[in-house]
Order: sequence, then C-alpha cells, then structure tokens
Amino acid sequence: MGLLRYTTYRFLQAIPVLIGISILTFVLANLTPGDPVRLMLQGVEADQEMIEQVEARYGLDRPMHERYLDYMAGLVQGDMGHSFHRNQDVASLIASRIGPTLLLVLSAYAFALVTSIPLGIIAAKRRNEPFDHVSRIVALLGVSTPSFWIGIMLILIFAVQLGWLPSADLVYPWWSPEVYGHDGYLEHFVETIRHLVLPMIALGTLQMATLMRVERTQMIESLQGEYVKLARAYGVPERTILRKHAFQVAQLPIITIVGLNLSTALGGAVLIEFVFNINGLGRLFYEAIIQLDYQLIMGITMIIATMFVIGVIITDIAYAYIDPRVTYGEAE
Amino acid sequence: MSSESEPLLRVENLKTQFFTEAGTVRAVDGISFDVHEGEIVGLVGESGAGKSVASMSLLRLVESPGEIVGGEITYKGETIFGLEEGPDGELQEREDMLSNQEMRDRIRGNEIAVIFQDPMESLNPVFTVGGQLREFIELNRDLSSEQARQEAVEMLREVGIPDPEQRYDEYPHQFSGGMRQRVLIAMALACEPSLIIADEPTTALDVTVEGQIIDLVDDLQEKYGTSFIWVTHDMGVVAEICDRVNVMYLGEIVEQSPVDELFYDTKHPYTEALLDSIPRPDKTVGELDPIEGVMPEAISPPSGCRFHPRCPDAREVCQRVHPENKQVDTAEGVPHRAACVKHDAFDVGYDESVPLAKSPQVTADSSANTETSVTDPERGTAGSSGGEGSE
Repeated sequence: MGLLRYTTYRFLQAIPVLIGISILTFVLANLTPGDPVRLMLQGVEADQEMIEQVEARYGLDRPMHERYLDYMAGLVQGDMGHSFHRNQDVASLIASRIGPTLLLVLSAYAFALVTSIPLGIIAAKRRNEPFDHVSRIVALLGVSTPSFWIGIMLILIFAVQLGWLPSADLVYPWWSPEVYGHDGYLEHFVETIRHLVLPMIALGTLQMATLMRVERTQMIESLQGEYVKLARAYGVPERTILRKHAFQVAQLPIITIVGLNLSTALGGAVLIEFVFNINGLGRLFYEAIIQLDYQLIMGITMIIATMFVIGVIITDIAYAYIDPRVTYGEAE
Repeated sequence: MSSESEPLLRVENLKTQFFTEAGTVRAVDGISFDVHEGEIVGLVGESGAGKSVASMSLLRLVESPGEIVGGEITYKGETIFGLEEGPDGELQEREDMLSNQEMRDRIRGNEIAVIFQDPMESLNPVFTVGGQLREFIELNRDLSSEQARQEAVEMLREVGIPDPEQRYDEYPHQFSGGMRQRVLIAMALACEPSLIIADEPTTALDVTVEGQIIDLVDDLQEKYGTSFIWVTHDMGVVAEICDRVNVMYLGEIVEQSPVDELFYDTKHPYTEALLDSIPRPDKTVGELDPIEGVMPEAISPPSGCRFHPRCPDAREVCQRVHPENKQVDTAEGVPHRAACVKHDAFDVGYDESVPLAKSPQVTADSSANTETSVTDPERGTAGSSGGEGSE
C-alpha cells in the first residue's frame, strides 16, 4: 500500500478521535463551576436583565448540545468562534500566540535530540564506565526534576547571578529586526538564540533525559545482537557497526517516544511560558480557562489535539519508513 | 588432507577464560587441533563444552569478560594469537601477533568467515538481504560496489535462492529460516575465505531443511575447496559431513580422530555415550542410553578426568589423574587421540584401580537410583557420600 493512501487512512482515523476530544472538552468546560458572564461583568453593577442580555447575545442561554452542534458546524466551515471575553476571533488570537509556543517546543525537541542521542550512544558504548554512571545520574535527575523548577534555577544562575542571558520573553525571528531595534539580521538572530536558550533547556531537559535513557538501553541491546557479532566477524570496523548496524535498529523506539512525548512537551510549555514570561499559547490557554472563555478553550484544545494527532501520524509514517517489518497497513 | 604439509590452521593449547564475579570460567582449557586445506573438521560436544567460545577465539572475537589467556593460533603461518615471556617475566603478546586492525582488515571475512547458529537473528532486520551481502563482499574483496552487487546476486543463486535479482532487495523477515541460513552461507562463501567456521548452522532449522543445507554445504565445499570447522552437538551431522572430528568436553578435547574411526573404533567413553544417545529408528526411546547427569560448570571442574562423575567406566584412578589427549591408536597413518586413562598409552594403573561408584551430587535429578550403589560393600571407595538405606 502506498504511503499516500496510508497517510490518508490515518488522517481519516483521526477524525473520530478529534470529535471525541471536542465533546469531552466542551462538556468539561461548561461543567466547570463559575459563570462566564459574571466573570466578564466583574466590577460592573449588573442586574439580572443585563446578565440575560449578555447571555442571549453570546447564545449562552441555549442548551449545551445546541451550542455544541453550532460550534462544530462553524468549525467544519473553518470558523473557530469568537472569544466573548476578549471580543476577538479565536482563530486570529491563536494565530498570534502559537508562534512562540511552537518555537519553544520545537527548539526544546531539537536540543533534546541533539544531546540525547550522542550521549546515549557513548553511554552504551562505555557501559559501566564512569561516563555511563554520570550520564545515568544526570538522566535520572532530568527525568525526576520538574521543568519549571529547572527554569527558575536557570534564571537564578544565568540571568540573575551571572547576567549572561535574558530571563524573560522571546525574540520572534519572524518579526523584522527593527521592531526590537536590532542592528541587522545577525544581531537579530543572536538575540533570538540568547532569549531562547534558557527556556529551551528548561523544557527540553525532561525530553533529553527520557530519550537518553531509551537510546542507551536500545543501543546496549542492539550492540549485543547477533547481527553485530556477524558484522564484527566479517571485519566491519567498530565505528561502522556503531553508526550503521547497531544504530539504525536502536532508533525505532526513539521515534515512538518523540511522537508520544509531544503531549508532555506541549503541557510543559504552559508552565515554561509562565516562568519565562513568554506570550504563547500556553498562557492564553490558562487565561481562557480562568475566564471560562468557552470558545477560546475549545479552539486551543482542538489546535493542540490536532498537533498531537499529526505528530503521532508522522511518527508512524517515519517508523514504517525506517523499519521494513512495519507495513503501511497492508493486510497481514 | 595429508598431515605432512603445514596445516591451514593450527591451534595449540588454546585457553580462553571468562573472569566473572563467581570466579574464573575455564571455557576452553588447553585444546589443540589442526585444520588442513579442503577439510571439514568437526568440533563436537554438549552445550557448554566450549565449542563456540573456541571458534570465536580463532577470530579473536571473545567478548568481555572473556579473554584468551594462553596458547597459540597460527593461520597460514601468521600468528593470530601467541604469548611470550616479556622482560619482566610476565607473559605478553608476541611481536608477530596480528594487530586488531590486521585481524579486521585481513583475517575476518577475507580469510576466515563464520556462519552462525541462529539465522533468524544473524541478519540485520532493517537492511535488505542483498545490501548486507554486498557490504561484506565489498569490504572483504577488491570489488567495486556494482561488481559486489552482481557477485551478491550470483551467490544468492549459487546457494539455491530462487529469483535472486528480486530477493536481493527484500528484507530478512521476508525470508524463511532455511532461506536465511542459505543467505548466511552465501555471505561466507562470497568473501572467498579459505576457512569457514560453521557454528551449529543447522541447529535452529527443522530436519528436512537441515538435510538440504548439509547437502548444499557438501556440494559447495567440493566446488570451492574451502575448509570448514563444523561446530555441532549432533553426531549424525558429524557422520554425514566431517573428515576429522574433535570431541570436546568441559573445555577440553577428549577424543580426536578421522570420522570413521570415531564411529567404529570409539576410544573415549564420552564419545561412546554421545553416540549411544542418538535416537535411531532401530531403537525405541526406552532403549536410548542418554548420558547421565548434566555437564558440571566449567568454573570448578571435577578433579582428575573431568568426565569421571558421569563415566560408566570410571575407576578410582580417574579421580586423581587428569589425562591429557594422547595418541592411543593409528588409523591409516593418522593418529587417533583420546584422553582416557583406560588405554595402554596411559600407564597409571587403571586396570588395578577400583571401579568408582557414581557420586550423587553431580546428578541431582537422578540421585535416587545412583545412591543405592554407593553403599555396596564391595565398593568401599566412595563411602563418604552417606546415601544409605534408600532401598
């Protein structure tokens, strides 16, 4: 079966998943204690009539299932609804805030992959030597330390104490340098990186530690494989064995973990955005929940769910691409 | 096959040990054998006898914590392994010993190739069969990538894989066990080595496939003139394919002879026991005569002859005297060696010695029926075992 057909099939499979998520989120948001209209009218001397007026205006007086169907009808046509709290289009609100979050998550992933794979391989190669012991302790700490705490510590050390790096906000590379008063693109780029380093490490450490542990275990297993013995017996240099014969087999679980951990990374991004004062999707999400901004909650949830589903599908495709034993959904 | 000429491979007093936390395991404990050009030499024994460790030692591919600690391996006049006394009196590797680089570039694959036991695990699951074959050919022969590819296809055809052009691009999981073993044989032959170590190559296969593979190897061996070391525990396979046989027990070679003499004029009780335990159509299961007990750990081998606790012919002297592998007979000018003191070549008083009652601790599972003989008043030697009154 072709790759295209497989991909289409997987996307079609994702539709019921997304519908399920939308129902769940809609119900949960609406069942959350609190009245969005009262929250909106805070500080305003509002009588019953006024509240009813506002409710009617946003359709909040209608039963839940009607509102849900309405919302979904709009969503199918590409209308993500209206944030009644901010009086703005949900789609444009998300569009304006998704950039920093994606930048943060993707760079954290890049950081995690670039560090964890070589470290995991070296640890496997030097199993039970000092390097391995140290890397295992670091990995254990990385897995068990909350990312926001790492973020705060990084700020204290590198921003407050040493003053090397900025501690708040990001520089958006997609904005023009003039906005920040940067002198040309080089400075713009350097500033982007400087702002990104600390939150990237804070968010990426968990991923790095997880991946490193898996990479180490997988490489150890793969290096003990009969096919590695065979390659050695045929005079294949140790470097080639490490980089090719053992490596490629060991990467299969890594791919799965990268895909599945996208959810923890997106969740972690919410906290990191707070710690580093980044105006991303995570903070918008938090505010939407506090204000019971139903349509905004729905919009962000659907976006995150879609990103996750796409991530998983890409993972599966990559898996089938690397592992010849996995087929594109052919009848076995 | 003549013993006059310099052998292709000469192994002398090879010792390979594993240094584990529980102690030193003497997996291979001073074995010597030769392989001549064009010969198939069997290395036979139960699991744990040290056959595989011995064969990996020949390529210097013993994995940690294992290490070759003594002896000499000479291949075509070159030293694969050899020790000498250094200036400080300690043993050190000899100057003329091949370096790791030389082993990799010139010996492994090019000169000595292997076929492993488990064809399911030996091929890398994420590369095509043809790709793996081509890689090894390219590495071990002076061929371009394209030539190596053609050679790979040719070898696949040679070992009887249908549609080799098409199968070249398939992955190992698309091949059956027998077909994979054919691929591994193609791999070994394609590198044009002078010696192939086949480490239990048919053990993982079912019997019909085993027969096909043995026939294939027999044909190809004749065609290419390659020498083989055939590692197996199966005496039937030995009879079918080997020219000369080395029988191993607990890290030692206990009998060494041309294949016919081994079967018709068996000199060591262990070999006899191995032959008796082969299932045959003229024997029912009840008539089978399996070897009693299990092989002891090589970490603390029994004193004297290592086989004596399980040996039906054991006498008191066997507990004390450790027999070396001595020539006990000659068959057509080829020595027949055995490490058993019952032969006249050993003058240690076997005939006068008292027959030995079997000691129960070695055969924990069959202790009930061996213990009764311990208290037999005529055999006073093993009285310490205290197994009285079970009958």
